[in-house]
Amino acid sequence: MTDTAQTWRGALGRAKALEFQEYALAIVVVLLFIAGAILKPDTFPTWDNIRNMLTQSSVVGVLAIGMTFVIATAGIDLSVGSIVAAAGVFGGIMVGTDGTSSLVFILAAILFATFLGTCNATAIAYGRVVPFIATLAMFSIARGLALLLNDKLPVSLLDLNGGSFGDPRPFSLLWFGVGRIFGIPVSVFVFLAIAILGWIVLNRTRYGRYVIAVGGNREAARIAGVPVRRIIFSVYVLSGFLAGISTVLLCARLGSASPVSGNLYELDAIGAVVIGGTSLAGGRASIVGTFLGVLTFALIFSLMTQLNMSTEIQQVTKGLIVLGAVLLQRPEARY
Amino acid sequence: MTAVLEVRNLVKEFPGVKALQGVDLDVVDGEVHCLLGPNGAGKSTLIKCVSGAVEPTSGEILFLGEPLPQGDPAGSLKRGVATIYQELDLVPDLSVAESIFLAHEPRRWPLLDLDKMYRESEALLARLGHESIPVRAKVGKLRPAAQQIVSIARAISGNVRLLIMDEPSAILDEGEISTLFEVVRRLTAEGVGVVYISHRLDEIRRIGDRVTVLADGRTAATGLPATTPTDRLVELMVGRKVEQLYPDRPVGTDRVLLEVRDARRLPAVRGVSLQVRAGEVVGLGGLVGSGRTELLRLIYGLDPLDEGEVVLEGKPLRAGHPRAAIRRGLGLAPEDRKSQALVLDWSQTKNVTVADLGRFSRLLLLDIRKERETARKELRALNTVPDDPDRVVRLLSGGNQQKVVLARWLLRQCRVLLLDEPTRGVDVATKAEIYRIISELAAAGLGVLVVSSELEELAHICTRVLVMREGEIVAEVDGKDATERALLRHAVAPTDSPDLVEEVV
Repeated sequence: MTDTAQTWRGALGRAKALEFQEYALAIVVVLLFIAGAILKPDTFPTWDNIRNMLTQSSVVGVLAIGMTFVIATAGIDLSVGSIVAAAGVFGGIMVGTDGTSSLVFILAAILFATFLGTCNATAIAYGRVVPFIATLAMFSIARGLALLLNDKLPVSLLDLNGGSFGDPRPFSLLWFGVGRIFGIPVSVFVFLAIAILGWIVLNRTRYGRYVIAVGGNREAARIAGVPVRRIIFSVYVLSGFLAGISTVLLCARLGSASPVSGNLYELDAIGAVVIGGTSLAGGRASIVGTFLGVLTFALIFSLMTQLNMSTEIQQVTKGLIVLGAVLLQRPEARY
Repeated sequence: MTAVLEVRNLVKEFPGVKALQGVDLDVVDGEVHCLLGPNGAGKSTLIKCVSGAVEPTSGEILFLGEPLPQGDPAGSLKRGVATIYQELDLVPDLSVAESIFLAHEPRRWPLLDLDKMYRESEALLARLGHESIPVRAKVGKLRPAAQQIVSIARAISGNVRLLIMDEPSAILDEGEISTLFEVVRRLTAEGVGVVYISHRLDEIRRIGDRVTVLADGRTAATGLPATTPTDRLVELMVGRKVEQLYPDRPVGTDRVLLEVRDARRLPAVRGVSLQVRAGEVVGLGGLVGSGRTELLRLIYGLDPLDEGEVVLEGKPLRAGHPRAAIRRGLGLAPEDRKSQALVLDWSQTKNVTVADLGRFSRLLLLDIRKERETARKELRALNTVPDDPDRVVRLLSGGNQQKVVLARWLLRQCRVLLLDEPTRGVDVATKAEIYRIISELAAAGLGVLVVSSELEELAHICTRVLVMREGEIVAEVDGKDATERALLRHAVAPTDSPDLVEEVV
């Protein structure tokens, strides 16, 4: 009798809240897919549409993985959308008009995005600027840079592939946008690889443990010997770096780098992270949740598009979903 | 003589704590009634009940013979109860007159009547004998004593009949205290009743008329004359039976592990030197605010040192870097477990291993099975309940949370353990276990430095006890000679006053 009671209490005490949210979200994803299949049986459950949804969500998905680390420390990064635009344009002008090297673009974009992330990191970890303000400033700075760098004009990247999207060489830039392996877009593999790596780092390394510790209780982490400042610094650098990867995926798909691209991507990324169960207060983070959150958004908006709902309505819906997810996350609702 | 305040059988329960368990107190007009008691005796709760900041659970409070509305600060204030808290609650950027009339400014609707405000401020200060304080000066520019006078002027700017002063002398020097006492005497001459809280027993004879002693939320004695011998007052404050919950006192060796040399960080720590040897449990006693916690933070590197150094096993420690301290073998179990020691949403395992994750890393990856098993072993060694390494620490009792923190540093194999209030919020049975653990650690060769407000526990578990007062170590008492009483005397009164020397052997 006592034994049973204790086992039962023990199970409760383990507080599987996060896993519960992951399962719930997985069910939501399945239900959304079924709903789509019923409402639009001809166009929704097709291989083309699935491929399309996955390709589109991979850009924001990569950002969301970085955002998961940032939010796990109780931070926020509002600048990733702007960084994507700035890094794309920067990469584009580095390649130049007669450029043929994909590698130059890829490295330049990733390095520039990482540099901007490092600026965030320095302001936050060493300048003690609150993350919201520091990255809001970068939101504006990076967008401004994106517009300044090439005189508000987009840079075409098709020259890297002989002027068209046709049949890119493996590991050339456009291959990341339109190439496929076993029929699955390369960008989806990139997103999956980063999600898996992110999961391993967050859940199975000392670094990941420290990230959660800093978000869970910064003072306790410091007293336990966690290098708090270095950890905070690192997540913003990581977020910038992943924004660079995201830039590559986006520009590869579009065949150009536009100074107005990436608009509001930060909201999409934050939204996916939050509905995935990662706590905005820090200390609780789930890469699986973020991954499912990205899929949820992709399904909802693909379905809405197919139902001929305007982008304005989609935008309102997106905001409402994020708000609802945050409301569900209030501390009172936790136990 | 009429009774200003009558408190009858007052009870206040907070969730899980009985702060007051039936307190009685009478204050008559024109007297200074001193309120004594160790930390946690219920003094603050009592005055908060009277001032209306806290609503009592049961009992009555009569003010001038009539029941005082309960839990109604504005109502208490309107009837003439004024309170001055320990920390000066003045806004430094306001002028003296603005401070005195803050929140009840005289107005010529809708504008402030500044002339009237200055005039009446001057009158109030004159009433206190301090007309020289400039009413237009910023409060922040005044000396602490003058600020205290401004607080009193503010308190009496209404129609005050009862003035409650919570440790008003804590921040004043000797001359300023005399000034304060003169002001208090002027008020009592006008018929105001004063409740005066202080930790300084010597003040009671100087200013008090009668004394009430609180201990453990009860009135240990009330209405004693201020001439009551200090010995008797201390006895009343302590007044508890010692139970058999203490292990053998560790003896210690000659090998110095930790040495602090003239550590200074103003205002809390004013030049402290101490040594902790292998096998010793060294107590650090004193009242709240005497600088004990701040000293531990300096040793551990959480705050930078202004001056001085910390030496660990003969080599100086890099100041201001907790990671360096941990690497050299220091561990800290901080005062507030929930906000400073634990990630509450984490399992016991993760909380135990966080300071020593390196040992579980193989090719960058954590071996979480080994991590869990190792943590389980450490937790079992301390008899942590429940025996479930996956249990979230938020759900553990205070004592078991403390064991999780101790297990962390045992896993890390630290050599000097700093414990800040290790038994706060811990039930008696678990307290005994924690004392035993501390004693065993010392026997195993660790040096342990324990901060505690419970002087009784220090008197029983320590090889030596150091007593801090106002940022300095004022006494060192050998464990064998330490009694709660002796320690309390050092903590509250100047050691050099003649009637106290005999206590210290």
